[in-house]
Amino acid sequence: MKMKRFLVGFSAVVLVLGMAFAVNAEEGVTDTEIHIGQWGPQTGPAAPWGSVARGTDAYFKMINAEGGIHGRKLIHHMFDDSYNPAKTKAGVKELQEGIGMFAWVSGVGTACGLSVVDYLMQRKIPWVGPSAGSLHWINPPREYLFAVYPLYYIEAKALTRYAAEKLGKKRIAIAYQNDDYGKNGVKGVAEVLEKLGMELVAKVPVEKADMDMKPHVMQLKKAKADAVLLWVTPTHAVRIVGTSRAMQFTPQWLSTSTCSDFPLMYKISKGLWEGVIAATFGELPDADCPLLQKYKKDAYGKFAAKNERWGLFFYAGILFSEPLVEGIKRCGKDLTRERLVREMEKIKDFKGIGGRISYAPFDPAQGYECRQGQKEVFLVKCLKNGRYEKLTDWMEIR
Amino acid sequence: MLEFIQTLVSGIAVGSSYALMGLAMVLIYKTSEVVNFAQGEMALLTSFLTYMVLEYHGFPFYAAFPLALVFAAFLGFFLEFAVLRRAKEPNILGMIIITIGLEMILMGLVSWKFGADPKTMPFPLSPYDSVQLGSVFVSALEVLNFGVALAVMLILFVFLRYSKLGVAMKATQQNNMAARLMGIRTNRILMITWGISSVVGCLAGLLLSPMTMQPYMMWDPMLKGFAGAVMGGMTSLPGSVFGAYLIGIIENLFGLYVSIEFKSVVAFAVIVLVLCIRPSGLFARHYVKKV
Repeated sequence: MKMKRFLVGFSAVVLVLGMAFAVNAEEGVTDTEIHIGQWGPQTGPAAPWGSVARGTDAYFKMINAEGGIHGRKLIHHMFDDSYNPAKTKAGVKELQEGIGMFAWVSGVGTACGLSVVDYLMQRKIPWVGPSAGSLHWINPPREYLFAVYPLYYIEAKALTRYAAEKLGKKRIAIAYQNDDYGKNGVKGVAEVLEKLGMELVAKVPVEKADMDMKPHVMQLKKAKADAVLLWVTPTHAVRIVGTSRAMQFTPQWLSTSTCSDFPLMYKISKGLWEGVIAATFGELPDADCPLLQKYKKDAYGKFAAKNERWGLFFYAGILFSEPLVEGIKRCGKDLTRERLVREMEKIKDFKGIGGRISYAPFDPAQGYECRQGQKEVFLVKCLKNGRYEKLTDWMEIR
Repeated sequence: MLEFIQTLVSGIAVGSSYALMGLAMVLIYKTSEVVNFAQGEMALLTSFLTYMVLEYHGFPFYAAFPLALVFAAFLGFFLEFAVLRRAKEPNILGMIIITIGLEMILMGLVSWKFGADPKTMPFPLSPYDSVQLGSVFVSALEVLNFGVALAVMLILFVFLRYSKLGVAMKATQQNNMAARLMGIRTNRILMITWGISSVVGCLAGLLLSPMTMQPYMMWDPMLKGFAGAVMGGMTSLPGSVFGAYLIGIIENLFGLYVSIEFKSVVAFAVIVLVLCIRPSGLFARHYVKKV
């Protein structure tokens, strides 16, 4: 009987202690591990952007090989969502409720991100560096969401100003993917042109399934555009430029950062990409930047798959994750989600391999200031063989 | 007026690739009543392998392209012999599901082997050179595509009407049992049909590849080719070609004059309309079985 009482009492004590421990421990963090989740399309139409997740993976492996962060290894859980928001949501829930992620990083696609943003925010799970320059991440701002990618809207503004003011173009048009990504571009162009007292001569929507670009090019040609912004996928961009060449329509092409991987664009366009001007958010692949070179040697060189290419999208996966790693480092041994958010908010002019990154304490009225980390881009021009010519320095556009 | 003519020409140009895919699908449908959803991916695999031998192994064009056609034929033979024929208690629906499975496997294979970055096939003709007819432009590649589509249609027409094998194929489609009783090895006929169909699809793939190649590139042409074939009646080769060109023209005209946003889906709306009026398609012939 005594023995039975002892066992019941002992079990109760163990249970209470266990629960107390569970309350104190942060989900996804142990003494030796930090679990970070990420989605990215490894298959499907957006698969070229899948290298973002692989870049993050190599970066985390590099950090782990160097001893981790305060003795903890970063355990990277990445899954293929095929750029399909339904799959993103299912995958995120599975990992979050199955294994338990401490935070989420990057994640390609505006629509994919939008499918899980409420889920993550309601549970107060930090998400750093969505791989899409959408206004949705900061408008309205969310306490646990830290954007890194400069807004497409800002890129469009920078390119339009350059076309109108530096190149003296008078008839500016845009071909845009008919979704949030493309519409952000249209918004930026329209705002700048309005300020300059100019008119957007054509805005031509491109559907993801469209293969034949002649009708689109005909509209641009009909509008007599002398500069055209391309807010589409790399494949569509090449098709538009190629079809235009075949129809002897040769305006100045300007493109978003998603098409700024010049070696790739030059190759797939069979050289037609030469002369295209693009906005970009990260150092150039061959830049003389010690940090970038270190990543190339220690992350890409040691942990990337054999046929992986050192391109913009690959190291963008590192760029988007740098602020999270910096935040975790600043937390020290005492890592909680609340602490991470507070430490991230203290980041000022952090310089990784992109532009300067700053956040501020959460203020719902100041989304751009408090939750848009990188506000700088620079413009580049594609030269022969996909080489880069830097047209501007890092510039902050408001 | 110039715009209208340019759009018409562009519609015909894009219709050629749909026509080739449509022809390929109709061939299989005619003999087995199976809609082959793996048609696009069979062409995809052949196109990527051709890219591989051209780009990485330095094969000359004159060797790579004929080899591609031979490979395509064997791929068709193989899939029919090794996969479809093995189906137990086969029915049409089951076969269609198998082709969807094949489609996924082949696309997965290409994605795994070649990665997701877009590529372009080296090709003797630049896809960006154009031929100018007055003030109307058409790319040299599209002219070639048009020529190939017409030639293939002509060859198939002659083949099916006048060759022994062609007549055997038609007999297999119309009454499999009777054809077997007449000494036709229907299994072999089916295998050959898959081979020929694969070659036709491969031509479409090879002609689309000089612009950009990626694992998803054949899905849209396959769907539009299928739509064209449905419009034409699914059993009629000229019907499928006519339907494909009609779709190319309609979507281009719709894009110019009505809405470019709905250009890709308008073709399917037209199909619904056509099928409401003529449920068997525009060119279908009915074979009535007497009981």
